[in-house]
Amino acid sequence: MTFEALKQKKRMKVKLRGSASLILLLGTLAIFLLANVLSPYGPNDIGVGDHFAPPSGAHLFGTDNLGRDLLSRILFGGRITVLIALGATSIALILGSAWGILAGIRGGWIDEFLMRTADALMAVPLILFALFCISALGSSVASLILVAGILLSPSTARMARSAVKAELASPYVVSAVASGFSKVRLVWNEVMVNIAPQLLVQISINAASAVMLEATLSFVGFGLQPPNASLGTLILQGYAQIYNSIWFVLFPVITVMMTILVFNNYGEQLRLSLDSKRSSS
Amino acid sequence: MSDVLRVENLTVTVPSLEGAVPAVDDISFTIPTGTKVALVGESGSGKSLTAFSIMRLVDHPVKIQTGKIWLGDREISSLTDKEFRTIRGAEIAMIYQDPMSTLNPIMRVGRQIIESIQLYSDVSTKAARIRALELLNDVGILEPEKSLNSYPFEMSGGMLQRSVIAMALSGTPKLLIADEATTALDVTTQARVLDLVDKLAIERNLSVLLITHDLGVAAQFADEVMVMYDGRIVEKGSVHQIFTRPMHPYTRALLDSRCDDTVDYSQPIKSIPGQPPRPALRGDKCSFAARCSHVQENCLSSTPTLIDYGNTSAACFHSEKIISMSEVI
Repeated sequence: MTFEALKQKKRMKVKLRGSASLILLLGTLAIFLLANVLSPYGPNDIGVGDHFAPPSGAHLFGTDNLGRDLLSRILFGGRITVLIALGATSIALILGSAWGILAGIRGGWIDEFLMRTADALMAVPLILFALFCISALGSSVASLILVAGILLSPSTARMARSAVKAELASPYVVSAVASGFSKVRLVWNEVMVNIAPQLLVQISINAASAVMLEATLSFVGFGLQPPNASLGTLILQGYAQIYNSIWFVLFPVITVMMTILVFNNYGEQLRLSLDSKRSSS
Repeated sequence: MSDVLRVENLTVTVPSLEGAVPAVDDISFTIPTGTKVALVGESGSGKSLTAFSIMRLVDHPVKIQTGKIWLGDREISSLTDKEFRTIRGAEIAMIYQDPMSTLNPIMRVGRQIIESIQLYSDVSTKAARIRALELLNDVGILEPEKSLNSYPFEMSGGMLQRSVIAMALSGTPKLLIADEATTALDVTTQARVLDLVDKLAIERNLSVLLITHDLGVAAQFADEVMVMYDGRIVEKGSVHQIFTRPMHPYTRALLDSRCDDTVDYSQPIKSIPGQPPRPALRGDKCSFAARCSHVQENCLSSTPTLIDYGNTSAACFHSEKIISMSEVI
């Protein structure tokens, strides 16, 4: 095979993987968001099966201590988890990028102040901070979204700032300044569009972190209150029965793991394909 | 003839471990209307910094300490940043070393040109598009329509530099600053782009400040040449004068160390011994003294300033001796 053909093959491979990761992501989101269509039973219907029934044809993932169908509970729990992740990611995106872009553009003491604040926030142990906030705000979907969103903002801000800094130093931005373009125009036209891909990568990484954070918080008891459940709550409930019905904890854990993997994989593929575009241009 | 640009006592400092040091040290020069002036010098001599200072593109921690700049009759160095923005592009345009990175990589070339046309004159996008096509045609792009719809990565270096020039001309500036504008291009493209700038300068009565380290480019293109060394202009004069009868030993040494088809290659090519001094350690002496073969006592005890010799001036105590040497072949 010639060099060109191999190069082409590699490029196709990157493209294919990228599309696959996007399909996986959309598929996962669709499964959770369509929970009410897909799930065979209501998530809180008690006694649709025996207590602690192992996986069977009627209950693919088995049942829990109250005889609720675990598959249905996972689908609905996943929906809540995904909604929390998306909400938190949006907050982190808006708050974090405004934070970072402002720091990057203004520079000087504003930059210094904003970034040291970000450092200070990142220095506080994540879980501790989250627990503190949740106990102050009470545990509801809204407060989980808010807390996770705020926690993910500093890292997003950092990334946005460095991307902005790099853009501002690029010759075409200097050239645009020399052409007399105003700063506002520069930020929108030159900087924003060029850092958008990097923000997109950050979003998918943030989403994965948010899923993890939600699961963690719920697992230590700061998640949704019964009968509603998110994936983290399901893990917590299943964990108590780990010795007599392993599937009760196993399936939620696998679901969390797969969801995180899907988000991370998409971010990674996105980053790779952006890289390969950069280098081939 | 009046001057399009006059720079007086420009000093620009950059921070270093020894404190702020002047990387451009008290330089003054004028660019007469319609002339092409080349500013030559080696890396780090301060030539690009001079250009960026004229455009006020230097940012903290680099600082313009002193200096007055006039554009025509208007003093532009005292304008506020907001007022100065109306000068950029509209009165003084700039083109850069690497055309590949001067254009926004993810925006079509046409849109970028149209955008800058609309920045300088309040016209519809349709009108700006027509103007962009004219400009692209003027800079010798064969298929303007096609280039308008191309992304920067789809074009060659020469085409990109032409597009950048078209963009620079969209504000009908009086002065074009070309900062190493041909350095990144290969030699044949380089010559064509220089011819183009030359042609446009004549057509549009445009003055050009060409910054280059390539003496060949300066000789071919410029009417006047300024030689910069260690943050100062050490010699300026007409291109003919500088290249045949240099009056500063540095210019002389530069010309002696070039390698083109006039050089006898059976001899080793001459080089200038030593390194440029660190600006922080400049002190009160001629900064070329340590490398100069004509150094005398007074070179080490005071700094020479530009001495006017009619159509040329040089900052050397011993210019008579240099000029009495044989002509540069």
